[in-house]
Amino acid sequence: MLELNDLSIVYPENHGPLTAVDHVSLRLERGGRLGIIGESGCGKSSLALSLMGLNRKARTHGTIVYQGVQLNGQSDKAFKAVRWKKIAMVFQNGSEVLNPVLNVFEQLDEVLKTHRRFSTKQRRELVLTWLERVGLDRNWAFEFPHRLSGGMRQRALLAMALCCEPELLILDEPTSSLDARSRSELMGLIDSIQADQGYSLILISHQLSVIEAMTTDLLTLYAGQMMEYGPTHTLLHHPMHPYTRGLINASPDYQIYKELWGMPGGNHETPASNGCPFAPRCVQKGPRCKNSRPQVQIITDGRSLACNKGGIEILLKGEHLHKSFALKKGTVQALCDVNVELKSGEILAVLGKTGSGKSTLAHVLSGLYPSDQGRLTFWEPGLDSLSATRKRDGLQIVFQDPYSSTSHRMTVLDTVKEPLDILGWGTSESRRDAALSALAQVELPNKPEFLEKHGHALSGGQRQRLSLARALTMKPRILIADEITSMLDPSSRANLLRTLMGLQNAQGFSMIFITHDLFLARKVADRVMVMDRGRCIEQGSSVRVFQNPFHPRTRELVDTMLGNVKNEPMLGMKQNVYNLLKPREAETFFQVNHNKEQRRTP
Amino acid sequence: MKKLGRLTEYVITVLIILSINFFLPRMMPGDPFLFLSGDQGEQISAYSDEQIRQYKACYGLDQPIFRSYLSYLADLFRGRLGQSLYFNESVGHIVLRRLPWTVFLVCGAILFSTVLGTALGSLSAFYRNRLLDNVLYGFMMFFSEIPAFLIGLFFLFVFAASLGLFPLSGALTSFSPDRSVVQVLKDIIHHAVLPVAALSLTRLGGMYLLVRNIMISIIPKAYMRTARAKGLSRYRIFIRHGLRNALLPLTTRIFMSLGTLVGGAVLVENVFAYPGLGLMISQAVMVHDYPLIQGIFLVITLLVLSANLMSEVLYRVLDPRVKDGEG
Repeated sequence: MLELNDLSIVYPENHGPLTAVDHVSLRLERGGRLGIIGESGCGKSSLALSLMGLNRKARTHGTIVYQGVQLNGQSDKAFKAVRWKKIAMVFQNGSEVLNPVLNVFEQLDEVLKTHRRFSTKQRRELVLTWLERVGLDRNWAFEFPHRLSGGMRQRALLAMALCCEPELLILDEPTSSLDARSRSELMGLIDSIQADQGYSLILISHQLSVIEAMTTDLLTLYAGQMMEYGPTHTLLHHPMHPYTRGLINASPDYQIYKELWGMPGGNHETPASNGCPFAPRCVQKGPRCKNSRPQVQIITDGRSLACNKGGIEILLKGEHLHKSFALKKGTVQALCDVNVELKSGEILAVLGKTGSGKSTLAHVLSGLYPSDQGRLTFWEPGLDSLSATRKRDGLQIVFQDPYSSTSHRMTVLDTVKEPLDILGWGTSESRRDAALSALAQVELPNKPEFLEKHGHALSGGQRQRLSLARALTMKPRILIADEITSMLDPSSRANLLRTLMGLQNAQGFSMIFITHDLFLARKVADRVMVMDRGRCIEQGSSVRVFQNPFHPRTRELVDTMLGNVKNEPMLGMKQNVYNLLKPREAETFFQVNHNKEQRRTP
Repeated sequence: MKKLGRLTEYVITVLIILSINFFLPRMMPGDPFLFLSGDQGEQISAYSDEQIRQYKACYGLDQPIFRSYLSYLADLFRGRLGQSLYFNESVGHIVLRRLPWTVFLVCGAILFSTVLGTALGSLSAFYRNRLLDNVLYGFMMFFSEIPAFLIGLFFLFVFAASLGLFPLSGALTSFSPDRSVVQVLKDIIHHAVLPVAALSLTRLGGMYLLVRNIMISIIPKAYMRTARAKGLSRYRIFIRHGLRNALLPLTTRIFMSLGTLVGGAVLVENVFAYPGLGLMISQAVMVHDYPLIQGIFLVITLLVLSANLMSEVLYRVLDPRVKDGEG
């Protein structure tokens, strides 16, 4: 029904033309529901406005074809024929979207007057019916727009768009000004009227949950270019473009547990015309991305992608990994048929009880132990775990115990630049600089007196930061963090984690975060892998695993964790009991209660 | 509460103007009785000192100035404007006779400059930065800088003196009785064309610029885009959505600029010898006719102030948002 062929929209600005939409092609069938997402300024609204020919100053290249008729041409005529009769729009809610000096009724009535042949009386009845249909009381019809609340104005805008029964409805941020309840009401309304009238939908929104509920296809725009296109559900749950993933990671309705981090950068400096526009902010940019513009490629059924690297890369892949240790009597299976995969820019948390094989996995991946069986591949062919740890832009590991992983006899500076010294990287001057900047990154002082300190003079938190800085001098692509916070007090732990997460977000390295602390994992991880007795029992997105664990042991793990939370209010009571009773009596009181509990839950 | 505040403001303004009205003419050098019989500029007196003393006592001019100020205020409260010294007639009568001509002139000028200014200003705004806009803009800037009396003199020379299309002076042809109402009306309009045109032209530049600026700020508004999206006709978008919003700042500005317009009218009336209040003022000033000067200024002041008050009231009626802002 609607077809965009190689559409570009260019605004002639004083300091050179600004391309708002850049070679976008797409099709929308009758009754189709298309969502468009992207950061502000990515060209969503320009695209929507161009469909109705409302970009006054813009030049359009390419064609907009509606029902076989090209709309953008020499004159306004073709657009005039479809405006509001066939294509209507619910504008982004603003105080001046409706004319401030005309009342709501007049503003609805005039469209009917222009496009439909009805008597004054019929029009009046129709307007009032539509207002009621969208849930706005008729009494509000004769009020001026400024007296309506944001939600009511949104409803009036919707009624105005629908009253001529359009074939295509464009909604620009229809729910951004609404609270959760009105939002779902409005969405339900648009849905039910669509079932009735069968209009097609184009929905622009920042709220991904709204997009997922309302649309079947989704387009991601960046700098006016199409980054990814495909079925909404698949795109939101298995994004292939780092940009789409960045958008999802920054949405509180999708990242319900993890700390929210936006994509770094984004001041929209004009991207190099011949490179990938997203490259400056991409976590996996390569040399090619700078000077070759990615072409939109069809990946699978109805899914297409514009990325030079074919979407989010897989940096590390372990298949059927086995590792056993010989004991005096028999052997212990530390890893048993473990498959693991790490994508670029991703944080994978490896969870499990002590002795479940988490650390063994970390050691196998970083090449400290060879695996007995299985295959380990990295982003570059020919790379193995040992060579990956021996290069910059490779793989680094940070251990649990900073006291044994950093030498207490070496100075701070020597510790940090040790890997560079071993590699013989650059000059001694540049190694020192790299060490200093790594220290700054982990928020350690880089004053001369501190640099000359010896390891034993530092606190645990400082030493752990030191070992992190040492790993960061190598600018790792993958960082394995093996229980790095377990020996720190809660405040140092929180500080260290925030630093680490900030660095991860800014530099975009991938991370394997090994912990037995589920709460921590929930705040940190994109994906979670649960280990039990050397086996991987569950893998999935953090939200899915924590909300709906498949494996009974994972469920048990999550339940214990959440169970602890439920019992927390008990602390207060416990304190009261201690205050009321003598210590000994209190002990017995709790002992008895505990035994009762034990009996109740087999 | 707020309304009361505005009212007090107006009352204070009137009081201040009244005082200035009273003291300013009396600060002029000279004396009414020196001029009663003498030609302008000549200081000869037809009266003996005895007579002058008598007259001064009669008009209360021998009293200390502060006392006469108080009695002036007291008279005003009783609705008396006083007696003209020169014309020996009640000031109220003189003002009432002259007022309609000035009002006619001013209203005519407002009407023409507003209609023409709105049309040209909107045209300019819609064709912003194109040839039409540039030409209009330059033309208007040029004319708006010329004072009213110069334009008036130019009109007099060209259209009245050289071409003889319009009368040179006055508002009515005198000494021609037995004419029908239509003929009289025609005569009045014939006389008024040049003064109204001169006055309109000086205002036109300002109006044009105002409308152009307002429309330029309105065109990119979101509701104008909504109106275009709705597929309304150009006429409807322009009138209902554009001009309707421009009306608010426009009306207030028209009323606010009444003061300068009356000032312009005084000059234009003198150029065309048009028998309005403006011509009367200059005559009154020449002969030091204090009560007449005070009376005319008072009426003009009240007119301008009430126009301001009206603009506020009108704004409230036109803009639905102002009402709620107060509530």
